[in-house]
Amino acid sequence: MSRLQGATAVPARLTWLLLRRGWDSPAGTLLPVAAFTAVTALSLTVVAGAWSFWRWDDDLAVAYQMLAGFAVVLLLMPLMALAGSAARLSARRRDQRLSTLRLLGATPWQVRVMSLLESSGLAALGAVAGVLVHLLAGPLVQQVPFRGEPIGAAYWLPVWTLLVAPLVIGLLAAVSAGISLQRVVVSPLGVRTRQPAPALSPVRVAVAVVVLTATFLALRAAGGLGVAVGIAILLGGFAASMAVLNLLGPWVVGVLARWSRRTARSPELLLAAAGTADAPKAVWRQVGAVPLLGFVSVVLGSGAALMIASDGHVSGPERFLPQDIRTGLLITVVVSFLVVACSVAVNAAAEVYDRADLYRSLHKLGMTPRSLQRSRSASVMVPLVWMTVLGTLAGSLLAFPLVGMALLSDPVTVLVVLACVVAGVLVVAVALAGTRPVLASVLRP
Amino acid sequence: MSDQHSDRVALRARAVTKRYGTTTALAGVDLDVLAGESVAVMGTSGSGKTTLLHCLAGIVAPDEGQVVLSTSSGPVRVDSLNEAGRTRLRREQLGFVFQEGLLVPELTAVENVALALMLRGEKRRAAEQEAARWLAALGLAGMEQRRIGQLSGGQAQRVAIARAQVASPRVVFADEPTGALDSTTSAEVMDLLLASVASAGRTLVVVTHDEDVAARCSRVVRLRDGAVVSDSRVRA
Repeated sequence: MSRLQGATAVPARLTWLLLRRGWDSPAGTLLPVAAFTAVTALSLTVVAGAWSFWRWDDDLAVAYQMLAGFAVVLLLMPLMALAGSAARLSARRRDQRLSTLRLLGATPWQVRVMSLLESSGLAALGAVAGVLVHLLAGPLVQQVPFRGEPIGAAYWLPVWTLLVAPLVIGLLAAVSAGISLQRVVVSPLGVRTRQPAPALSPVRVAVAVVVLTATFLALRAAGGLGVAVGIAILLGGFAASMAVLNLLGPWVVGVLARWSRRTARSPELLLAAAGTADAPKAVWRQVGAVPLLGFVSVVLGSGAALMIASDGHVSGPERFLPQDIRTGLLITVVVSFLVVACSVAVNAAAEVYDRADLYRSLHKLGMTPRSLQRSRSASVMVPLVWMTVLGTLAGSLLAFPLVGMALLSDPVTVLVVLACVVAGVLVVAVALAGTRPVLASVLRP
Repeated sequence: MSDQHSDRVALRARAVTKRYGTTTALAGVDLDVLAGESVAVMGTSGSGKTTLLHCLAGIVAPDEGQVVLSTSSGPVRVDSLNEAGRTRLRREQLGFVFQEGLLVPELTAVENVALALMLRGEKRRAAEQEAARWLAALGLAGMEQRRIGQLSGGQAQRVAIARAQVASPRVVFADEPTGALDSTTSAEVMDLLLASVASAGRTLVVVTHDEDVAARCSRVVRLRDGAVVSDSRVRA
């Protein structure tokens, strides 16, 4: 017992010392905390919103619950990307210090304990703040109407979930840190985070064609079936299509980046495209949720628009379904973009720290901070815009007649959904611009 | 000071002082660097040699004193330029070689070199052609499309030398250019740097703690506690 205490007391003291010093450069410490705050607040709010649908037990409730479950699944990808970004940011800030400690003779156990303490501590701190944000946002979210009435008291999750959330987030951060730390413990000389571009095998293309064709046919057949079965087929088709997009996404990002790299005329675009071509998987992980949402928004938005247009023929509780699908879709799009924007900002900040020496040297060569920022923005925005357009086009092709009819019968709904996608892209641009002070701080001599 | 001497000055520092908080990094340095010279700036850690390079190259502005760079359009007061002006001056008039190259790892050798020209507004195609010419002159023909990670330390430093000179700068600044290399490679790289600078008629300022590197330069300036303590010509 005393040996164990001795083994953890030293790393705990060192961690506390380093954390206290860490506040001297708040961006490196506050950023992961802020990211975990966003992850926790948005996750809890999404789960609470979905949870509120379980208060109904009539026939239509199943459709609502399936749609809520679908929204949660849609949001899982960007939320997991954000959590991963936050964990990586705090890990990257630590890597160098921990490698140095290893070189100075710290044991792997001490380094591991320090890393786990710091990661889970920052994550838990962020998660506690996230719970508070979730509670503060409650009165606003409670006003959102579904089935003709505000969510109201059904929004509140059981108290134990709010107590457990920081522990779960802290644990997940510790696991993530443990995985990234494995490399530091093995090699005190540091780590590289870039991954090679994935090759596209013919099998992937064949799988993609088969799945998309099957989805197309299934969506055609879904019309004549009941609401619940129809929605189940729709969601299944979506899940399959999204899996395919996820499979092809990194490859398409890589192809586009290599083409941009060959044709880039400005140094900013050349740097951006070369960076993306080198790590298309990492770029897709950051922005992939947006094209997936563009895809889903077009199909579901068109479906909702058609249902709203034929509203007059429906009575009873089903009459709220079209508006509610539209409301749910808009909330999902907005939340998802917020998460992606946070994730992009955290990654961009982490990258500035990672490449501080290189950015400083480019600045010394005469590259202005504005040029550097433009290049960093392009490395996210160019693939984001391309992939969002492609995702939206893929959705339009999949539900071609549906989109045409929706545009004719209820153009406002379709345009609102598309406007949300465009606004989301702009939010990501604003989030990137928000990391300008981080770049300025490392360029200062 | 003779007019002939003044005409040959590429870079002039007068009473240059720089403080960081309560620490005085440079305490009134006077220095004239003549066109075509290769000047080694030496000193122990904390002597102010890197700060002097930063002030001369317009990376930081001195707190007091003057820095004047001779350009084709006349002398420019580096110390009175704002941040944007100094950045432009570095891009258009100066070249840099850093200790570990600090090349962009995702770019090929030729793209790294061409970047310096593209930053000045050159078209990419022309920039890459000129970059390839410089790489060939430095013994890297056939390696243009290699990534930096696929080159040895000495080869990467040659790419950095090509990048520093491709845009025809007035003065090339090198901060410990061989600090990360073994002694044989270090000698080769230094010879290439000096030969390429001399053949183009340019001026070189090298910050180094390596006596062998300094011995290859035409002049050695030694600093201690932010002041010049000796200034000697090694060879003509």
